[in-house]
Amino acid sequence: MIKKTFAWISILLFAIFSVYPLLYIISVSLRGDDAFQSQSLEIFSDTSTFKNYSELFFKTNFLLWLRNSLIIATMTTIISVALASTSAYALSRHMFKGRNLMLFSLLGTQMFPPTMLILPFYIILSRLQLVDHFLGLFIIYSSTALPFCIWQMKAYYDTIPKELEEAAILDGCSSWKTFYKIILPISSPALAITALFSFMSSWSEYVVAAVILQDPLLYTLPLGLRSFQASLATQWGLYAAGALIVSIPVLILFMSIARFLVSGLTLGSVKG
Amino acid sequence: MKLFFFLILLCQAAYSEDAVRIQLWHQMIYEHRLVLSESLREFEKENPDIVIQETYRETEELRSSFQAAAIGGSGPELVYGPSDQIGPFATMGIIQPIDDLLGADFIRPFDSLATPEFLGKRYIVGASVGNHLMLLYNKKLVSRAPKNTDELIEMGKKFAATGKGNYGLVFNYTEPFFFAPFISAFSEKTDNKEFSLDLDVTALTKTFEFILELRDEHKIIPKECDYETANALFKQDKAAFLINGDWSWGDYKKAGVDFGIAPIPLISKTGKWPSPLVGTAGYSVNAKMKSDRHKEATIRVLKYLTSEKAQLFFTSRVGVLPSLISLRESDVVKSNPLLQVSTEIMKLGTPMPVVPEIRAVWDSLRVQYQKVLAGSSSAADGAKNAKTLAESQIKDMNEVLQPDASALFIKIITLLGILFLIWKTYPAFLSFLRGFQGSHKFVYYMILPAFIGIFAIIIYPFFFNIVISFSNFSLKTFQDFSIVGFQNYKMVLMDPQFYSLFLKTVIWTLVNVVFHVSIGLFLAVIIDQVMPMKSFWRTLFIIPWAVPQYITALTWRGMFNQEYGPINIFLQNFLHLSPVQWLSQPLTAFFACVVTNVWLGFPFMMIVALGGLQSIPKSLYEAAYLDRANAWQRFRHITLPLLAPVMIPAALLGSIWTFNNLNVVWLVSNGGEPGDQTHILVSYVYKAAFNLYRYGYAASVSVIIFLILVIWSLSSLRKQFKKEQKA
Amino acid sequence: MIEISQLSKSFGTNEVLKSIDLTIQDGEFLVLLGPSGCGKSTLLRTLAGLEKIDKGTVKVGTKVINNVDPQDRDMAMVFQSYALYPHMTVAENIGFALSLQKKSSAEVAKRVQEIGKLLQLDQLLERKPKELSGGQRQRVALGRALARQTSIVLFDEPLSNLDANLRSQMRVEIKRIHDKVKSTMIYVTHDQMEATTMGDRIAVFKDGKIEQIGTPNEIYHHPRNLFIASFIGTPEMNFIEGTIVGKVVGSATGTSSVLGLRPEVLKINLGELGPKEKDLGVYQIELSENLGGELLLHGHLVEDELKQNVRVLVDSSENFSKGQKIKLKTELTRAHLFDKQTGARKAI
Repeated sequence: MIKKTFAWISILLFAIFSVYPLLYIISVSLRGDDAFQSQSLEIFSDTSTFKNYSELFFKTNFLLWLRNSLIIATMTTIISVALASTSAYALSRHMFKGRNLMLFSLLGTQMFPPTMLILPFYIILSRLQLVDHFLGLFIIYSSTALPFCIWQMKAYYDTIPKELEEAAILDGCSSWKTFYKIILPISSPALAITALFSFMSSWSEYVVAAVILQDPLLYTLPLGLRSFQASLATQWGLYAAGALIVSIPVLILFMSIARFLVSGLTLGSVKG
Repeated sequence: MKLFFFLILLCQAAYSEDAVRIQLWHQMIYEHRLVLSESLREFEKENPDIVIQETYRETEELRSSFQAAAIGGSGPELVYGPSDQIGPFATMGIIQPIDDLLGADFIRPFDSLATPEFLGKRYIVGASVGNHLMLLYNKKLVSRAPKNTDELIEMGKKFAATGKGNYGLVFNYTEPFFFAPFISAFSEKTDNKEFSLDLDVTALTKTFEFILELRDEHKIIPKECDYETANALFKQDKAAFLINGDWSWGDYKKAGVDFGIAPIPLISKTGKWPSPLVGTAGYSVNAKMKSDRHKEATIRVLKYLTSEKAQLFFTSRVGVLPSLISLRESDVVKSNPLLQVSTEIMKLGTPMPVVPEIRAVWDSLRVQYQKVLAGSSSAADGAKNAKTLAESQIKDMNEVLQPDASALFIKIITLLGILFLIWKTYPAFLSFLRGFQGSHKFVYYMILPAFIGIFAIIIYPFFFNIVISFSNFSLKTFQDFSIVGFQNYKMVLMDPQFYSLFLKTVIWTLVNVVFHVSIGLFLAVIIDQVMPMKSFWRTLFIIPWAVPQYITALTWRGMFNQEYGPINIFLQNFLHLSPVQWLSQPLTAFFACVVTNVWLGFPFMMIVALGGLQSIPKSLYEAAYLDRANAWQRFRHITLPLLAPVMIPAALLGSIWTFNNLNVVWLVSNGGEPGDQTHILVSYVYKAAFNLYRYGYAASVSVIIFLILVIWSLSSLRKQFKKEQKA
Repeated sequence: MIEISQLSKSFGTNEVLKSIDLTIQDGEFLVLLGPSGCGKSTLLRTLAGLEKIDKGTVKVGTKVINNVDPQDRDMAMVFQSYALYPHMTVAENIGFALSLQKKSSAEVAKRVQEIGKLLQLDQLLERKPKELSGGQRQRVALGRALARQTSIVLFDEPLSNLDANLRSQMRVEIKRIHDKVKSTMIYVTHDQMEATTMGDRIAVFKDGKIEQIGTPNEIYHHPRNLFIASFIGTPEMNFIEGTIVGKVVGSATGTSSVLGLRPEVLKINLGELGPKEKDLGVYQIELSENLGGELLLHGHLVEDELKQNVRVLVDSSENFSKGQKIKLKTELTRAHLFDKQTGARKAI
């Protein structure tokens, strides 16, 4: 009994901890002009208004940013899932010279301070004349998302018994058919997570986008949101409203694949 | 693939019009932005052959992306900003002098403040002058401006006494720019008409003491006050006086505040007037032009934006003071009482320095000043340290490292290294190529695309950084850096600050990962073994993960706000504690960063742990139950060891991410505040590269970070590997 | 006909198959029997093409198939872990190979129905593997292998994950199916009961070599060496070490030898000896195990100074108590003699 009470109390505390900041954003987004500075803890008050939302949708380029972000995030997701699922399969199933080095260097890419990569990124893209092109962002986003995606996919493939492929081969599948008729469908939880990761990383990325996209018509949501934050005068209400709307698609994605998350996020495996 | 090409075509279609496209980057506040865009549209109507694309960038960001763009050989044709950015840009050679471009006749009618010289040339055409600080008073609350500071304090106290949460004076006083005017008033030099790089320690000490007095003794300014807070308090009639610049008028007018302006009051103690920095905001021209057509169009746009017509338009809409002397007599200016007073105030001012070194001065002032405000340093020490720090930062910034013997050594080693690598990897490479025909060609085709992408996009930047870490790439050598040897590394490794930052980063990483893993594990076990509605709880705890990091960081910064943050309000209203100055004390600011990062990091670990728990056979628990193991023992002897293979890789990855997490630290602490004491290694790198222009130095720190992480992960992976072998 | 000659296979420095020669007739049910790690599974996988052949050749009919891809070998295989495709229903699992061969869906469905009936899976066709019991999964795995009607079907310890009851049921079922479909079946197991009940012939493996190949009877009654004698038969054969004293065909006096006597050939000597029978002296019982119909006695011959354990199988209707002494006899023709050093069988 004591144990149950303890569990409930702690879980409720953590629930407050994890939900409150989101409520706070909601509450700020519903306040009027300068009500950021408010000393009440209420989420909704008499002065709550949807003014910020209507301004966001009708007076700013929010919908354009949304469209741009969707294009970029979707393309990045498709590219990274396609590349990660194939190369991770090869890394998981075949021993070849330099395989361990490859795996470690994938991990190694996470170790260099990312801020210092921006300048060379820019140089590459400007040589390729891809500054101010979505294509430039696809390339950077998918290749920066790939190392983690490959690791994660490989770890999942490692848990699939080899016999399944052998059975498929004896049933008459070629290597490629084995991969896409047997392995891919089985790996759908891991694929979902890989997709989620790459979607999220490109959806909320700001620093690289700021350097590469210069045309306001190509702005993504984070860039647009940042423009509400002038050097000295942030429009908090608009910002909060935008932040909330940016978070919602990711939240929905997360919730819809929550059941996959648990079975698909494998970085190692339990040996039972 | 087809979709790709389609998209490229789409992108290009937008540019294929016949007009010249001119890019303009600016950092105008929201109200000004609207005016700019209106006047540009007007220009485009008159000049159908030119299309202008204006882009808002936050100050720091404009600086760093313009630098990056310039190195990459592109960037906007025009940059709008305050005059102090021309120093660095001109030194780097990424903007060009306008003297020849526009001619002396064009420049002559402008106020000299609007076309400051830098090393004998002019680099900016100001569209307005001013940008200076003054005292604003709310006419609803006080009838007039005080004559001197004594009166200011008296009037301020009186107003503050009228209600809880009312303040006599508010301003963004933690920012050096806002207290700089006072320094000259406390200086003993008679003719102090220039804000010099050489800080006056006595004057600085007195200024620090003065601000502390206002805050702690007279209590007329809030304990914590950033720009937004000051702004809001003034708008909500909760502050009688405000120190702010001319750019802010429009905002207050829009908010319906009835206010008057006056010079920052005379300092009663010294009998001298504070001297605000007066600058200009205007347009500079990129050193590289895409074509003569672009050049010609750029000049036309520039001339238009600084023309009488455009300036008048701005003045009438947002009330800035025009930079053309002739316009000072125009009706628009004459009929604007604010501008009249403002022009008078300007006469007390000091021209804004444009030399790049001023940045080092601001930076060291900010660092020390914030320490003084937080009470971790005395006023005298703070002033002394600010001077020393400024001097050393200026030295670092200007230092052009010369190649030493090790440079040759490195070049030879690199050459040999490359030859050795080719010799070593050639057979492997050949066998790799042969793999495409062998029986496993399937494998090779599967791996190839991903690795080409990774190599091109990640490996190139990596080697680029290694190269510049051996170079003297910095402000003065922006366009032509050379390999100088191990000097950057020597500097890093001999700097005690590096070690203290390293220690702090280790603590930061350790604390975060421990919390991530333990909270994640704790929740996972409870959800898995005790709670009903598992999927509901699981989803609930995913929320922090789903919110984009930069939103999280800024939200938590808001929540930690001393006055309006829900955390302090909760402490006050429910626990009856006094509010904590979370973000202005080094330890609590660090704590705030940790809380933020813990918040966004624990769901990942929870999910990993839940996945692991699912695959632990229930029979093991039943067996342990029969063996009379209690809950803790079951956790300790079954859950923990069986989850280890799942949690260890996750924790390792988590530690690498946390070690390199710039976002949270930078955004929550607003770039290392207070006083650069909240930095971890990566934010230090960011600052060195983008704020102090020391790319070579920053790159060498990055390489060292990389090596540290490689060693760390290799050693932990090896441990893990050994365990697996034993088992 | 499958002809394997001089086949060798190594993993690194570990040679798991050492120059195997083996011929399998069409329609034969051959069991590869041996302890784990003896190379029997590797041989099966080499036949299937899942492992490459280092040396030697494998011929099916007249064609050498060393370099034929597994897909093209016309063999089906049942895996120990079943390896059912978890994302497909039972019907899809069974029909998968056929649909890959571009058979029409009606044709596939018809075949799946047939297999379903043959293996009593008709009710389960629309279920996913995880909704099935172990025995049902086993049957699906079998069905998947049979669906293609290949001339050769390989079994890799297919019954080892089932409980004893199901195992004996499936044994019969597989045997029945073999009689019906007449494919060549090669069956790997470490269970000698499965081997003797199912195999037309048994090849006994040890350390990458075939120790003996023959019908179950040959293997049981004429084990070629000590290893096979001990590996085949439950309860295990008794081995009594000693030195030859009298005159025995084929071995000199004084050589150390091992006498092998299966527990069931030891009888209680009530005083009468048959024509070929011989008295073994007094036996002291140390323990008796009740196997249901029979009692398994553990004890030793009193004359034996080494007190080597000897098991005797007697009818359970008789009563024996611990420490009781009885006299034993046996038929010499059913005894086996092995060389102690080489383990090879010697004539008596």
